Amino acid sequence: MRRAADGLRRVNVAGLLTMLALLGVWETAVRAASLQLTTLPPPSAVAARAGDLLLSGTLVADLLHTLQVTLLGWLLAGVIGVTLGLFLGLWRPAWRWSMASLELLRAVPPITLVPMALFVFGFSVRTELTLVVYASTWPVLVNTLEGARAVRPELRDVARTLRLSRWQTLRKVVLPAAAPSILVGLQLGLSLALVLAIVAELVGNPAGLGQGLVLAQLALRPEEMFVYFFTIGLLGIGLNAALRVLVARIPGTTPYGRRES
Amino acid sequence: MTAAVPGAADAVPAAAAAAEAAPGAARRRSGLFPPLRGLLPLGLLLVLWQLTAARLPLYFPPPTDWAVGLRELWDAGLLLPAAAATVRTFGLGLGAAIVLGTAVGLAVGASPAVDRALRPTLEFARAMPPAAVVPIATLLLGFTATMKVVVVTSAALWSILLNTRSGLRQVDPVLLDAARSLHLRGSERLRKVVLPALLPSVFVGVRIAAPVALVITLLVEILTQVDGIGALIGLSQRNFQFARGYGLILVAALFSLAVNALVSTLQEYVLRHHPPAG
Repeated sequence: MRRAADGLRRVNVAGLLTMLALLGVWETAVRAASLQLTTLPPPSAVAARAGDLLLSGTLVADLLHTLQVTLLGWLLAGVIGVTLGLFLGLWRPAWRWSMASLELLRAVPPITLVPMALFVFGFSVRTELTLVVYASTWPVLVNTLEGARAVRPELRDVARTLRLSRWQTLRKVVLPAAAPSILVGLQLGLSLALVLAIVAELVGNPAGLGQGLVLAQLALRPEEMFVYFFTIGLLGIGLNAALRVLVARIPGTTPYGRRES
Repeated sequence: MTAAVPGAADAVPAAAAAAEAAPGAARRRSGLFPPLRGLLPLGLLLVLWQLTAARLPLYFPPPTDWAVGLRELWDAGLLLPAAAATVRTFGLGLGAAIVLGTAVGLAVGASPAVDRALRPTLEFARAMPPAAVVPIATLLLGFTATMKVVVVTSAALWSILLNTRSGLRQVDPVLLDAARSLHLRGSERLRKVVLPALLPSVFVGVRIAAPVALVITLLVEILTQVDGIGALIGLSQRNFQFARGYGLILVAALFSLAVNALVSTLQEYVLRHHPPAG
């Protein structure tokens, strides 16, 4: 009973009403000024088009493509970023002899590499995946590194006192202590992965939601553009929420990746 | 923090950021920049690139050619206007994001009812990947300078808005009581009490927003080819002028380093003169 009441209270009625009201304003505004605003479709047209695209299966296929590349790229970036980050965070000479290079490389906005990657890998899913992995590795790497370096010296002393092996120290002391920071990096990496996937699909890869958006634009179908636009937004929200749920199930962490003390 | 997109970690408590930006013991020991000998791997890579360039594919021109490419652009009178356009879009977009983010942040932070009513809409808008906003923005605003600024603002807004909102909750109630007992009017209270107390929070937001604004500026330019450094990068690539492309990527990296330096300088200044409450 109490849970049901809580659930009801957690539904943000005012918020949902505001959203609906905004949609209503949009609808009436477009209908009132339909001659001037030929580019802006009313929400009802967008919804109708969304129904068509859902039934024909194109929207789902595009969604799955973008989802797959984003997740695969993000997972690869997670493995690479955490491994490199731990290595650089724990082994001082490696940090000293390479960190300045990494800081400079990191200053190159991954977005600027998109045209180059398009040329090297062609209009393919390889371009998309490479860009996604490259861009989302950085936040994971940097946050893992910071997390590993910030492990309190007392904890390391404890590990030494207990005569833990290097592997045990890593698994039982460093990783748990650095976990909140790593999770923040993974969260940032996930949003970046989606952005880069969409960018790659917009400019070159012949598949996915980004490509659908471009095709709708070329076909001069504004309502279809909005369908893809909102789908991309929902995908972003869904991915973020899924990650939060996952993180919340890891013992000892809060949904925001910060450890409760 | 990396030059990231608006993400889950947008809202950073001002106090935590202050601790990070303050010249604390740990910070001083490691320095602001890691040891310079760490540049060795990158240097070696570039030297190797230069030496083997003859055998590499055409799209990996040797680093010395990058400078030549930039020189060509400069002589053709293309580099400076493009850089100016990028800086302009970045500045206007970030400026608008600061004004709008602070204003909306104040509105939703001051009233729990407004906050609750707007939250789902704002959450949804925040989750929109900026790349998807670009085609919609060109649909509604055309391939214009205004469109560029709007896209940049729509992406850079969020960290400022969220930090203003959470900053407002942390304003010392004693300050507000003092304002009330001095019978300050609404506008005076805002100008003399609330805004100064909020400044550190707003700046934490700006610190996150500035790199985002730069990245999104380049993104819009690459996607729409309107003008600026990003448009030149796309143009060079399409004309197979790879050396120019790399030179321009280098310019973009310099912009990014400059923005980071500027923001941390500003942040340190603000935190020194307006330490956050609590």
